[in-house]
Amino acid sequence: MPTRVRRKLLSLLVASVSVLVTAGAAVAANGGFTPEAPHSPNAARISSAYYLILGFTAFIFVVVETLLVVFVWRYRSRSRDRTVEGAQVHGHTRLELIWTAGPVVILAVIASFVFYKLPGIANAPAASNPLRITVEGHQFYWQFDYPNGARSINELHVPVGRVVDLRVVSPDVIHSWWIPQLGGKVQAIPGRTNHIWFKADRAGTYEGQCAELCGPYHEAMRASVVAEPEQDYRAFITRTAAQTLGKQEFEGVCATCHGMQGQGGYGPALATNPILTQKAGLAAIVRNGRLRMPPVGDTWTQAQIDALAAYVSKNVYKGATSGG
Amino acid sequence: MAARSEAAYPPVSWKTGRIASWLVTVDHKRIGIMYIATSIFFFLLGGILAVLMRAQLATPNESFLTRNSYNELMTMHGTTMIFLVVVPILAGFGNYLVPLMIGARDMAFPRLNALSYWLYLLGGIVLWLSWFASGGAPKAGWWSYPPLSENLPYASPGHGQDYWILSIHLLTLSSIAGAINFIVTIHNMRARGMTWMRMPLFVWSIETYSILLLAALPTVSAAVTLLLLDRQAGTHFFLPSQGGNAVLYQHMFWFFGHPEVYVMVLPAMGMVSEILPVFARKPIFGYKAVAFSTLGIAFFSMLVWAHHMFTVGMPIGLDSFFMLSSMVIAVPTGIKIFNWIATTWRGNLIFDTPLLFALGFLALFTMGGLSGIFLAAFPVDWQVNDSYFIVAHFHYVAFGGIVFALFGGLYYWWPKMFGRLLDERLGKLHFWLLFAGFNLTFLPQHMLGLLGMPRRISTYHHGGLWEVYNLLSSIGSGITALAVLVFVVNVWVTHGLRRGVRASNDPWLADTLEWYTTSPPPPHNFDTVPYVTSARPLRDLRRRLAEQT
Ligand code: HEC
Ligand code: HEM
Ligand SMILES: [Cu+2]
Repeated sequence: MPTRVRRKLLSLLVASVSVLVTAGAAVAANGGFTPEAPHSPNAARISSAYYLILGFTAFIFVVVETLLVVFVWRYRSRSRDRTVEGAQVHGHTRLELIWTAGPVVILAVIASFVFYKLPGIANAPAASNPLRITVEGHQFYWQFDYPNGARSINELHVPVGRVVDLRVVSPDVIHSWWIPQLGGKVQAIPGRTNHIWFKADRAGTYEGQCAELCGPYHEAMRASVVAEPEQDYRAFITRTAAQTLGKQEFEGVCATCHGMQGQGGYGPALATNPILTQKAGLAAIVRNGRLRMPPVGDTWTQAQIDALAAYVSKNVYKGATSGG
Repeated sequence: MAARSEAAYPPVSWKTGRIASWLVTVDHKRIGIMYIATSIFFFLLGGILAVLMRAQLATPNESFLTRNSYNELMTMHGTTMIFLVVVPILAGFGNYLVPLMIGARDMAFPRLNALSYWLYLLGGIVLWLSWFASGGAPKAGWWSYPPLSENLPYASPGHGQDYWILSIHLLTLSSIAGAINFIVTIHNMRARGMTWMRMPLFVWSIETYSILLLAALPTVSAAVTLLLLDRQAGTHFFLPSQGGNAVLYQHMFWFFGHPEVYVMVLPAMGMVSEILPVFARKPIFGYKAVAFSTLGIAFFSMLVWAHHMFTVGMPIGLDSFFMLSSMVIAVPTGIKIFNWIATTWRGNLIFDTPLLFALGFLALFTMGGLSGIFLAAFPVDWQVNDSYFIVAHFHYVAFGGIVFALFGGLYYWWPKMFGRLLDERLGKLHFWLLFAGFNLTFLPQHMLGLLGMPRRISTYHHGGLWEVYNLLSSIGSGITALAVLVFVVNVWVTHGLRRGVRASNDPWLADTLEWYTTSPPPPHNFDTVPYVTSARPLRDLRRRLAEQT
């Protein structure tokens, strides 16, 4: 290799490395250059696979784009005439082999790393006695069933540090469960049961939202996971969940379309509608839907209906408008 | 043969009118131009939808569009761009160029060819009429996954979705007829001396495009037929509550949908393989490697469909298979990129607009290809799937890749098609604006996806980085739209004002046979076709001429 070429290659290498270092600094600051800070072992392993791929792809990116820019600059015509031909090289078998084998090796490394991390991502740790919770994706809310029969809407409470195994299902259309800091996503598909797990390593609230188009309010289908100390979790599923169920239902389900005060929006105003005080009529509409209103409560228990009816008649209903 | 039939049946006078002659034409060049013009029209329409969507997403809690109309725009934009813009414009270039490049008089079946075009136009009209359907345009996304696309009161009632299905059927028929026509033409009508290894790489790519269409389209026809039966005849193929299977549709759709991606990108790559050598004044580096990697990509593209379905909860074994097959595809793609770069090495790079767009393709497609590796590694895909990272990824491929190549192709073959060169200064302005606008629109979307923004949401409530990146992206979409406008102005200046320089037969000193005939070519294309002695017959001719004088 002539020294001139060697020097060029060297400077190329230096340039690539320095770009990578800068990129690394940007990544550390996370302005959206890496997945959100993981707070569950599976999410952490996904992030490490992300970093590995980022390293290789950033390297390839820099090499390819640098070569492109260098060649474009170096071999620009500089007022040479169009009739002047470039070097009439038709190919080079060794080079072809190199740039076939190089990517193969890189991809093999990436794939091997993925397989190495895979068990820790796909499977919950063995012998962890997971907490089993059913997640029901629903137009346009999430409903959680706890082992003791408690239910909550949109807000999932879990103990910190405990493995949680989610059974993800849907009664209507396809949704997708995704809390970025607690791992990947999985679709909630009618007629199927999917599983995903996490283990929150720190107390806090982790936000996410439905990731599969499910209708007009797809955008509003948000979920949060509240990871809290064991005794708070106990208190929630034994008392708070049931006490606040009606409120959760109204605010998490009905308010999306009918407004927080029942003032109306996509659906008609409810605050002055006496049907809010008639449990049977309300139950029929909530369970079966009506025209543009989906059957939001088709999987609800009687206790849920009771909770809703009690809440709305007391807190949302403002009395029928007079003169009607 | 054609001459004889013309003698027997002199042209009916009404068929020779200025408009009527286009309506009844079976000339591949006119059909090609009609395809291209119609696709550009739909590109402008689809672009307007895109800019409206970006306006809605520019700021949080925006209510410029209603949720339903956002979903309609999103579905119509995606469906239009894929089915009414990219696939048919490639059919248009194929139609115009394949017979010329192989030295033939026309396509093998000229009437079938006209039928393909008219079916395409009909399909486009049907799709766009869906705005007036009861219940409005389809809103279930360009995949139209059931149950959301089913005729249920809470899913997709009304007829928009039925128009969508009908339109897909028409477009499928159009593409299948076109694909058969291309294959027969390429196999049987090449000029003397044009062996497979002397065939222009664009023709290689159209051959592959056609084979892939034939292999993939029947599945999507079947899928949407079943969906139509579900919606209108009371079956429940995809309705789990009645014993159907919603995931089946996803498999059927993507068995078509992934090859479709390569249907779109391979001919765009073919164009780049034609443009780069001509403006580098060199032969393509590694002709055989490029040709065979085209076939390799096509073959493997039939084996990767479920990498779009990593989040449906498939067995890990299947996920692993689809990860590996997807990674395999990256190899021939890389081979192409390296060969194109090597093509510029030691060239005499003439910076006309077609070269700028071809280099733009290289720069941006590389980015889209590399972000694809994240998606192939399925655990990482579990994190980024269905987020804005995906929106960024496929726009880098579909827009940065394919559409840049298409603009390059338009600037390159325009003089052949219309006899005038597009304006170079406006062309360069077009390129740089588009390059800046495109990157500003789609680069921040990678970050949005990693910050947790799902695709297909009609609004969001986060401030902070979400707001910044979304606003940048929306500003970028405005610049992009401006760039496209510059192209329209360029066409108008060139032809409306007749400012365009008249083109000779071969204004770029190119390599392939279409430059042997006049610009634009006569109806019968060639008076004589030279014997083809290499993959660069025109250069051979120029050299022979130079030797004689
Ligand atoms: C996806 C949006 C949406 C959600 C969520 C929703 N509704 Fe509705 N609702 C509607 C629409 C739209 C209508 C009007 C239906 C019609 O045209 O008859 C409606 C109608 C009603 C009516 C009848 C009003 C009347 O004028 O007779 C009642 C009562 C009602 N909803 C209660 C509820 C309750 C309680 C909940 C929560 C459990 C709820 N809705 C959730 C959209 C929704
Ligand atoms: C002006 C340039 C463009 C802009 C600003 C733009 C913008 C957008 C936006 C905002 C979305 C919706 C994202 C979402 O809500 O999930 C979208 C989706 C899409 N775009 Fe574009 N786009 C442009 C050009 C293109 C081109 C050229 C193509 C293809 C060749 C294309 C293909 C698609 C597809 C397939 C979808 C997916 C639709 C779906 O989710 O069903 N776009 N685009
Ligand atoms: Cu959803």
